Amino acid sequence: MSVSISAHHEDMVPPEIVSTVFYSATVSDTLAILVAEAAHGGQRLTWCNEGAVKLLGYGVDDVRALPLDQLFPSLGGGELKLLLRRERSARMTVPVRTASGAVIDAVVMTTPDPSGRMWTMRLLSTSNEQERALRATADAHERRFSALTERSPVPTLLSEQGMRLAHVNDAFCSLVGLRAEQLLGTGWINTIHEDDLDGVIEQVAAALDGDEVEIQARLVREDATVRTTVIRFAHLFTPGVGAGFVGTIEDITDRLAFEAKLAHQANHDPLTGLPNRTLLAQYVAERFERGTGALACLFMDLDNFKVVNDSLGHTAGDELLVEVATRLRSTVRPGDLVARFGGDEFVVVCENVDETAAVALAGRVSGALATPMRLGGVDVRPYASVGVTVQTAEHESADELIRDCDIAMYQAKAGGKGRITVLDQQARAEARDKLRLVAELRDAIERREITLTYQPIFSSAEGLPVAVESLARWEHRDRGPISPATFVPLAEESGLISGLGLLVLDETCRQIAEWDHLLGPAAPPRANVNVSALQLDDNLPSQVAAALERHQLEPSRISVEITESALMKDPECAREILQQLRDQGIELAIDDFGTGYSSLAYLRRLPVDCLKVDRSFVAEMAGGHPEIASAVIALAATLNLCTVAEGVETLDQAAELTSLGATFLQGFSLAEPMTGGHAAAWFASHVETSR
Amino acid sequence: MTVSPFPEVVAAPVFDIEQILAGIDTMAAQRPVAAQIVSVANSDDTNAKALARILASDVALASRVMKLANSAYFGMRGRVTSLQFAVTVVGFTTVRTMATVALTNLDDESRLPENFWDVTTSVALAAATLAPRFGERPQDSLCLGLLAQMGAALLNHNDPDGYAEIMASQPTYRGRRTAETRRYGINSLRLTAIALEQWGFPTTMTTPLMEIDDYRNSDGALLRAAFEVAARLTTEDYDEVPISKITCGRLGEDDLVPVLDLVRADAAELRRAMLGETSDDDAGEWVE
Repeated sequence: MSVSISAHHEDMVPPEIVSTVFYSATVSDTLAILVAEAAHGGQRLTWCNEGAVKLLGYGVDDVRALPLDQLFPSLGGGELKLLLRRERSARMTVPVRTASGAVIDAVVMTTPDPSGRMWTMRLLSTSNEQERALRATADAHERRFSALTERSPVPTLLSEQGMRLAHVNDAFCSLVGLRAEQLLGTGWINTIHEDDLDGVIEQVAAALDGDEVEIQARLVREDATVRTTVIRFAHLFTPGVGAGFVGTIEDITDRLAFEAKLAHQANHDPLTGLPNRTLLAQYVAERFERGTGALACLFMDLDNFKVVNDSLGHTAGDELLVEVATRLRSTVRPGDLVARFGGDEFVVVCENVDETAAVALAGRVSGALATPMRLGGVDVRPYASVGVTVQTAEHESADELIRDCDIAMYQAKAGGKGRITVLDQQARAEARDKLRLVAELRDAIERREITLTYQPIFSSAEGLPVAVESLARWEHRDRGPISPATFVPLAEESGLISGLGLLVLDETCRQIAEWDHLLGPAAPPRANVNVSALQLDDNLPSQVAAALERHQLEPSRISVEITESALMKDPECAREILQQLRDQGIELAIDDFGTGYSSLAYLRRLPVDCLKVDRSFVAEMAGGHPEIASAVIALAATLNLCTVAEGVETLDQAAELTSLGATFLQGFSLAEPMTGGHAAAWFASHVETSR
Repeated sequence: MTVSPFPEVVAAPVFDIEQILAGIDTMAAQRPVAAQIVSVANSDDTNAKALARILASDVALASRVMKLANSAYFGMRGRVTSLQFAVTVVGFTTVRTMATVALTNLDDESRLPENFWDVTTSVALAAATLAPRFGERPQDSLCLGLLAQMGAALLNHNDPDGYAEIMASQPTYRGRRTAETRRYGINSLRLTAIALEQWGFPTTMTTPLMEIDDYRNSDGALLRAAFEVAARLTTEDYDEVPISKITCGRLGEDDLVPVLDLVRADAAELRRAMLGETSDDDAGEWVE
């Protein structure tokens, strides 16, 4: 505050206010106020307040006697005039001499009175406590900030204004291998890889505009090595200075290298270092263009690899695979891809070759592989079966190309070892047809389009129906009925058998429950359900129990039929599972008995109730050869098992089998398989007529 | 050697300093936009948008700020296309400095002492480059360097003959300052300091100007070093002063080599950016 007193216009400020202000200025000890006056070509002090006395240490009278140039020892005559200007107020930071002779720094603000002959001077010591404290705080902030960045292991850039750096920390210096003075200003820009520079500058521009941004950029070190980094820019604003940024740098070079290594491991076979199946698929997919016919594939499978593994050991087997990989790589053309498909299978993919060239390459590959190598002290010639496929207009996807190549290899293998085969179109069509059928079968099972028919089984003694056998049927939308002899093995090969088996089991149980509901006591007492060898595992007993439970049926309503050959694969395991089923109260029958060479001794130990005499033995009876059927029936009787004779074609056969002692009969002549609905009607009428 | 910072014996002023400073006020009336920028740029609540808005009214000044922002010195290489962003890039202090240059007619070379801008750009670049070594902000030091000789320009403008005489008789800046004090009662750097203080530039910028001749005082060390660099580059047959002597031991001769190279290479471009004329038509596009 500066005080000037004017007497010219009495109406401007009431005198009592002037005196109040004047009084407060006089006694204030926080404001140092002096008045100077022009006199005799110079200036002298005429008045001061309490604050000035306190600040300067002079008495009031001493101040009045003090020449101005003593108060401001640094100001020469010319400069004093600049402080005491006539037309306007002035402000200067100058040293002020106190009574003790000490010099203190002060801001001096002067205001002339309208006459231009007197000046109010206000002194503000720049070293007062509050200011010192503020400065100390600011210094402490500055020190903390610089300690934080300078000692931080995170490479950091700091600009207070624009692109030019004011600070760079040690971590950044070591990252790029340069000294701070080489990086300050715009020097740091030179460390950014030329191709990334535009992007970095764009991000800095965004950061200066107030955004928080980041960018991946390469830094070129002093030794010309390159580090890949992520630079994060944050906006910085200093009042009165402008916009700047803080950049923190994360060196991700090692992380990227590690990720690349992981990616390589994911796409390459660790033994041979060749691309694996995943990369092969990716590679072919990237180059496959429908209808262009530019790709060719060679599929190789080593002959007798299992023999090497079994006789010389897996180490020798691995050694062989590595050698094969090496030979393949050195035989193919530059740019061709060699991949390990799995096990002892390798695939070569070539671009821009016709069939002749592809076959020629296959020949070279076979030749190269067949060179003898010494393995565990033995000379081995690794022959391979090679399937060749050249892309045609019919190939719709990259997968098809590799699949065809696989088919060609199987054809080569089937034709004898060490062969090269170009895919035969018919084989291709067949293989594809089979694949299509598998897909359709999967859909049919999912949509429950597999239906069941039921063929009655009669008691030979009374001639009454005592059970049915449920038989799966598939009516294909386009192909018409498909035989179980076709689709059951297909389901077994393609892993669909479990779903099919469960469908048959569940549907049979549902049907029995429905019959019970419709027919009451006239419903078929039992249904025989066929179970595939592949279903014969630990899950079977619980699956059967669940199906019975679901439809609220007694276990005695189901008989499980298993082929003799299924039992012979792992007899001990089969026996355990059958025992569990038996314990649940389920009857067990052996289907097609007599065709599977089962040991009689073993048969005795199996917990079965019934043998089904194969239809082929029954058929033989028509030619005057009842011997086998007779023997089977007699054997069953000896073991205390009942028998079902299948495929009974005539009533004579039925009579003959009855006389041989067959317990039950089943065949077209007696009753054909029928739908659940027809079976209900059939049983209703049959039981009616038999009463 | 012991140097007294404030000569005891002062010759009677033959020259009215007050009148010179009053002349600056007159200039302000001629360049109102520049004057407004000088007064608002230091305020804590100023932002780039506000400054750009004011700056846009002075097309010539706006063009220079754009040009400077796009110069190699600021590292943006032609990417600055808006005036507001140009203000962001160069910083408020630099905008203010450019306004001061315009305000005080430092851009009119015909009215300046000989060699004025060669020396000024060298001092500015040297000060900015060396600033981190002295714990100063490079941008502020650049501005200090650009404005340091303003007092000399004022003296020259008001007393062309007398000032030419001083220039001719005193090859060193230090000697020139002594002669200035003798003739005008004040040396040119103190005059600059007073003018800057008048316009509210911070004391961190005016103190070095006051302390330049006290070799024991480290506040003036950076500016002394910058003048030494400028002298070595621009004065023929210059008698070098050991750099450690004038920087309180903070710099050695080896430290100066890269700075000399850099200043020699970049001074001309900075000069073009500071003074370069751009046609008025161009500037309009930059104004947002």
